[in-house]
Amino acid sequence: MIDPRLHEALDGERDPAELPADLRESYARLTGAVQLLEGTPPVSVATRVMAEVRQIPARVHADNPARRLGRWLSRPRAVTVRLRPVWTLALAAGLAAILLLPSGPENGGAPPPGDRQGVARFVGHFPGARSVEVVGSFNDWSRGTLHLRDDNHDGIWDGDAVLPAGQHEYMFVVDGERWVADPLAGRYVDDGFGAGQENALLIVRPAVLPPSPAAQP
Amino acid sequence: MRGRLGLTLALAAVAGAGLLAAQSGGSASRLTGRVPAAALPAIDSIIATAVAESLPSEPLVQKALEGGAKGIPADRLVNGVRLVLLQLRDARILVARAVPGQPVPEGHVAAVAAALARGLPAPIVARLLTIAPNESPGPVLHAAADLVAHRFNPDSAADLLVDAHNKGLRGVRLLDVAVAADHELQRGGGRTPSDALARVHAMLPNVPAPEAGVTRRGTKGSYQRP
Repeated sequence: MIDPRLHEALDGERDPAELPADLRESYARLTGAVQLLEGTPPVSVATRVMAEVRQIPARVHADNPARRLGRWLSRPRAVTVRLRPVWTLALAAGLAAILLLPSGPENGGAPPPGDRQGVARFVGHFPGARSVEVVGSFNDWSRGTLHLRDDNHDGIWDGDAVLPAGQHEYMFVVDGERWVADPLAGRYVDDGFGAGQENALLIVRPAVLPPSPAAQP
Repeated sequence: MRGRLGLTLALAAVAGAGLLAAQSGGSASRLTGRVPAAALPAIDSIIATAVAESLPSEPLVQKALEGGAKGIPADRLVNGVRLVLLQLRDARILVARAVPGQPVPEGHVAAVAAALARGLPAPIVARLLTIAPNESPGPVLHAAADLVAHRFNPDSAADLLVDAHNKGLRGVRLLDVAVAADHELQRGGGRTPSDALARVHAMLPNVPAPEAGVTRRGTKGSYQRP
């Protein structure tokens, strides 16, 4: 609440000299403030914010390009996607075809054989084995290229492979260390290393046999 | 003229030596780290010998890789590879006699060596090579080796296969002849090997063919899943 006498003095309706000492002091502070405001150029809030913003590019330009790229990539952006229903349906149909059509041939996942290739099926009975693989002349006797599987955990390990047509010697390697000639091979040949061990012998037939006109059923 | 001929021969010799070195060098690179280091020089030498004699080197490389994978000691490994070289030499002699005056195909030599390794008698091999010198001998030799392994008389087995060939069976279809003979023998009823061969002989050329598509062993179905 402003004293009415001070109000009148500020409005020029009373001589400030007539005011009591305490009101004269207030009058002097208020008129001083008014003069200060009138002498300072007006600065809006927007002007001050923009002045701060202008300082930011100077700092960005000082960064290296990688940091600028990282900042650009991590900054959220608005993206507008426009879809045409016909293309959306076509895309959905294509994805469904890829997911639903059978992805492998009927020979248990092995790729289809060529004219000079055939599919060989390996089967072994190794109850309790942790792993069974086939190594032989078709894979340069390398480990880790043809593993058999026992999905049912019934001790029967099997697997298919597309191999070149012709003769192949091979062995099963059980649990990574025990070499076993395939008991079902039917053909065996001494391995020639002097210990009387035999390799199993597999003869792969070409998947597509040449015509044999004389052999009619 | 004489100088030009000499230069040509010298270039040919250098090229030939380079080719031999490249072949044996390629084999050596496949063997490095796969066979014991102590065995490598001897195996390289055996392979170089085979290449120089125009014998196939792949069976030697495979035998060395097999020995390395099985952890065979170096001395036994070298002996195993050397045994294959001897079989290849024997095989080439048989093939050269079967196709006189013609280049000896490496594939024929490898197939004959494999048949000899399976225990097929050399005279049977020689006879079967003559029925179709220009066809791959692998299937007919394996068919004969299958029959001999099942204790059929080697000469009678060869007779059957020659007849099958004459009646139009070729390639892997000759393996079906051996399978049919084995099935006839296993039918029992006091059937002898001679009886089984006679029965198959009578059905030629219509021996049963296996299920198409997948190569299985003769004891197929022994381990059927429930």
